[in-house]
Amino acid sequence: MTNEVIKREEFGDVALLHIVTTSVDAISATAIEAACINMRPITVLDFGDVAFINSAGISALLKFVVSARKSGYKLYAMNVSPHHQKIFKMVEMSRFMPTIEERDLAAYR
Amino acid sequence: MERVLVNIPSNPVFERVVRASADEVGQAIGLAPDRIEDLKLAVSEAVNNAIDHGNHRQAAKLVEVIFVLDQDKLEVRIRDEGEGSERVDFSRRVVDEHNLEAGMHRGFGMYLISALVDDCEVSSSQHGTVMTLRLYREGYQR
Repeated sequence: MTNEVIKREEFGDVALLHIVTTSVDAISATAIEAACINMRPITVLDFGDVAFINSAGISALLKFVVSARKSGYKLYAMNVSPHHQKIFKMVEMSRFMPTIEERDLAAYR
Repeated sequence: MERVLVNIPSNPVFERVVRASADEVGQAIGLAPDRIEDLKLAVSEAVNNAIDHGNHRQAAKLVEVIFVLDQDKLEVRIRDEGEGSERVDFSRRVVDEHNLEAGMHRGFGMYLISALVDDCEVSSSQHGTVMTLRLYREGYQR
């Protein structure tokens, strides 16, 4: 499934959501939130293309955190830049969406 | 001293214009790449705050951003045309279980600004609010 900002890939229990916008901000937030459907037991957000995240974007990402918690699913972040890792740590987002390496997903493919 | 002035309507899409300007200014004065990222995020938060809470997204009202390039620092002044704010809360705010359960998913912006720049201040009157951010160049007193 593809929409404006998220390209979705599924295998086994995993949903891998590639964020394909460079800016996770007030403009892209609505489309990102709209992609928060049909989460899988392991949902991974891929930030490989993301160059910028602000607090409006963090608010949109929190929809995924809430949805995962309600379903008892695991949520991970992948390909997070060092700067965004710093920001996620500052607001303690990383506690609810820890990072995962691409190689760790290989077992599920 | 050099100045760069950017005026935008109160539409969040134009925050990206200011952010791009911050990137260029940061590079022009030789900030390190990670400091430029800090600058862009702090300016983004301040501009979004001016658009949303100062001007209440009334497109006719402008947000004025002035980058002042000094020998020792970069100062960024973000001014809205709102009615002023009694208080701006820069206290630390993080994601926690209580906020998630309560649906409180916003409000990280002011904390991020205060944590990412060297200093910041707010002055407010019935004619609007000005937020001033400062990043000192490497080797200069903070």
